[in-house]
Amino acid sequence: MDTERTQEYLEAIYKRQQDETPVSTSSLAEDLKVSQPAITDMLRSLESRGLINYTPGKGAYLTSLGNEKALGVIRRHRLWERFLTDVLGMEWDKVHDQACLLEHVTSPEVEEKLADLLGNVDTCPHGHSIPDKDGHIKKEDLMPLTEFTLGEKLILIRVNKEDAALLSRLDRLGLQPPAVVRIISKNKNGAIEVEIGSNRIELDRETAIALLARPYKEEKESKAEEMPLSQLLPGQTGVIKAIEGGRGKLGRCFSLGFTPGTRLKMLENYSRGPVLVKLHDTEVALGRKMANHVIVVKDNHGS
Amino acid sequence: MDKSSKYITVALAGSPNVGKSTIFNLLTGLSQHVGNWPGKTVEQKTGICRHGDITLNIIDLPGTYSLTANSLEEQIARDYLIKEKPDVVVAVINAASLERGLYLVAELIELAPRIIIALNMIDVARQQGIKIDIEALSSALDIPVIPVIATRNRGLMELVNQIIAEYERPFEKRLLKHVEYGSSVEKIIDMVAELLTPDIIDPYPRHWAAMKLLEGDEQIKNIVQKSITAEKKPRLETILRANESAALTIATLRFEWVTKLSAVAQEKPPLSRVSLTEKIDRVATHPIWGLIFLATVLAGIFGLVYSIGIPLQNLLEDMLIHRSQEWILSSLFGVPDWLRHLLADGLLGGAGIVLTFIPLLFIFFFVWAMIEDSGYTARAAFVTDRYMHAIGLHGKSMLPLCLGFGCNVPAVFGTRIIDSPRARLLTILLAPLIPCAGRMSVVAIIAAAFFGNHAFLVYWGLLISNLLILLAIGFVLNRFIMHGEEEVLIMELPLYHIPDLRLAGIITWHNLVAFIKRAGTVILLVSLFVWLLSVIPEGNIENSLLAACGRLLEPLGRLIGLNWQMMIALISSFVAKENTIATLGVMLGEGGNGFTNSLSTILTPSGALAFLVLQMLFIPCIATTGAIRSETGTWRWPLFSIALQLIVSFAAAIVVYRVALLIMS
Repeated sequence: MDTERTQEYLEAIYKRQQDETPVSTSSLAEDLKVSQPAITDMLRSLESRGLINYTPGKGAYLTSLGNEKALGVIRRHRLWERFLTDVLGMEWDKVHDQACLLEHVTSPEVEEKLADLLGNVDTCPHGHSIPDKDGHIKKEDLMPLTEFTLGEKLILIRVNKEDAALLSRLDRLGLQPPAVVRIISKNKNGAIEVEIGSNRIELDRETAIALLARPYKEEKESKAEEMPLSQLLPGQTGVIKAIEGGRGKLGRCFSLGFTPGTRLKMLENYSRGPVLVKLHDTEVALGRKMANHVIVVKDNHGS
Repeated sequence: MDKSSKYITVALAGSPNVGKSTIFNLLTGLSQHVGNWPGKTVEQKTGICRHGDITLNIIDLPGTYSLTANSLEEQIARDYLIKEKPDVVVAVINAASLERGLYLVAELIELAPRIIIALNMIDVARQQGIKIDIEALSSALDIPVIPVIATRNRGLMELVNQIIAEYERPFEKRLLKHVEYGSSVEKIIDMVAELLTPDIIDPYPRHWAAMKLLEGDEQIKNIVQKSITAEKKPRLETILRANESAALTIATLRFEWVTKLSAVAQEKPPLSRVSLTEKIDRVATHPIWGLIFLATVLAGIFGLVYSIGIPLQNLLEDMLIHRSQEWILSSLFGVPDWLRHLLADGLLGGAGIVLTFIPLLFIFFFVWAMIEDSGYTARAAFVTDRYMHAIGLHGKSMLPLCLGFGCNVPAVFGTRIIDSPRARLLTILLAPLIPCAGRMSVVAIIAAAFFGNHAFLVYWGLLISNLLILLAIGFVLNRFIMHGEEEVLIMELPLYHIPDLRLAGIITWHNLVAFIKRAGTVILLVSLFVWLLSVIPEGNIENSLLAACGRLLEPLGRLIGLNWQMMIALISSFVAKENTIATLGVMLGEGGNGFTNSLSTILTPSGALAFLVLQMLFIPCIATTGAIRSETGTWRWPLFSIALQLIVSFAAAIVVYRVALLIMS
């Protein structure tokens, strides 16, 4: 395992790299609260170990090995933050510092158990994506609040600033992901006014820039995807929403459980043939024509 | 204490594939009686189970998913409950598909005051990671729940004790947890019920009948329409039309009730987990692999029947029939000559030879029963569905057609599971084209006599070409003769499970008894009749009446290289397919030469091949014809079937004979 200091550096470079490449020594000095000469020494050492490329005077960026290690640290950090808020019930403004300590002393085994315990979480409490164990991180198309137009409804996804005072204030205002807000007005000085629930809140420009969001509608669509049963792929699960068509000979469909609210799983679905689904603990074959009339809502996290 | 013994009537209700038959067999042993439901062609099984001085009269209701009359089975089951009022109803539920079973319980509760749940296959459920809290289920329903593993005879004693306890329990209205339909649905039900005075709907309960009307139940609708007054009729129709969606609402509410119950009592792996059955089905229901799998299964069955059954048949024929014939003819002194010949040629040569099919049929029926019980046949129906559409049917028609490999008669009756009348008729007409076990035995024996090492190939070729001809005929009938809409496929594919040997044994036993009865009656009579015709008037077959009849047919036979004896054998197969061998036995078995040896004296190989084709496609036997008559309700279709197969069989035989002559010369 790399030393704590190495990990800190890689993490800092990774974060800065989202905005500037290469990362200058002065930015790092600010983030890590270390003197410039000390930074330069450390960067040289990291370069000799193949973790970064460093050009004196310009700055540093991560090699693929360095990137991988950085993502590992970030994964552990964000998992710990989740653990601290969700399991231990700590405030979200206090967990960052604790996670900074814990992230360096976490063995791969602990990391795995932690991920298992937390289940399917994919973001930290502040809305940052957690890289998966293979080092993949979900990229989301987000914009700061200041970029949205007046009247737009949006969903808050991420707080892009590790500032305890800010976080604590947002907590009090109810502005935690995934809060849904609407832009009410924009002032010349960059401050904006948003509506959350029935409350109106004014946010200064700095705060508004730190809050990343995406349009609300899109979220709703991706959550509840309606389709005919015949379009569900094998392995996917869903819930029946409605049965279309007249009465006809539907009696048997009903008594075998094709009723709204029934959860089912698609087992076989090959072109033109009948579909095979599992519902109410049994496998049932249904002709394709009828499967076109059964409307289902697909589960998002289906395997 | 009451000295006279007590009788308790117990009805077994349950969905298909829950092991109801196994429980029935265990409870009744060999005391069971198999008949038909009055006026119906659905099998009714009853039996008794004695427990001290108490006798349980057990009725096995047809397997149903619900009590709405979607099919004859459902109608029979609920009519029995309503009209006969059994003392106790046992709902058999498969623990591995609890929700399916609870749906039926939801309906049973509405009709049966004393009800017990036999929770079967708890071992299977456990293997699948399903845990059922029996206490919780029982108290949530306020119904006794008895865990049972029927295949290992566990829990049956407890079940019997519980039935008796339930019967003896003083009757008080149980707090049966009916499905709550909610005030809006109840209001509509009440509105309908108000119109259904007892004189209209008796003996059906009003509230229940009203609900069934809303569910779109055809049978109740017919009853009501016959007797409802003219002034009430329009009102009823208006209510029903305005509430067409009630059927879905009611079913939805029942399933919500079921889901709630199962959440209380059941712990199961998430839906996303892949079970063993699902894994097998990745192959067994795949459009291509599934077909290969099906072909392998069929090849396995017929291969087994052929490779074990035929040698055994030969052995029996040699050891029993020929030896006895020789003994009768040479050593049975003091008996008139004609009687000795009657016994040797008529009885043994005819019906006796047919009895040597027993090992062959035993293997077939046993293996077939095991495959049915394993849950595979529904997969065969699923995988062939897309191809069946080419002939206007869907996969469900495969189930009765599969039965046809045993005997065409149950195949014709089995078409009842098909809802659309058109698809059903088409399946009925195709069923006699499935080579039944009787026909396959005849074919196997004649093929073995003529084609030596290639016999198996001939046997197979015939089987496959027969199925291809079936498809072709189906295609033509569908395209040019019958019109109508296609039907929706919907059926359950049961969990795979290890077949119950005992159940397979009992099914095989019933089939064999039926076969032996037939051999002892119809086939025996035909054998004796043929023998009689063959000795009248001079005691010499060459100048007999039979020969005279046969010679009339000879010109037709000459087209396919068949002499008059073969034509007589063919005609006799109309009575029962096995008669071909019986008749040939009577005619050729003189002197115990062995009829298989004598066959080659009257038939060339090309003639034999043509004969086999003819035999495979020849007209349905009397029993099948009768079944078609009773299922279609008219003589038109059985006559159509006879005419069709007469033409097809002779046409195919002539072609085969001519081609075979060309190749072999």
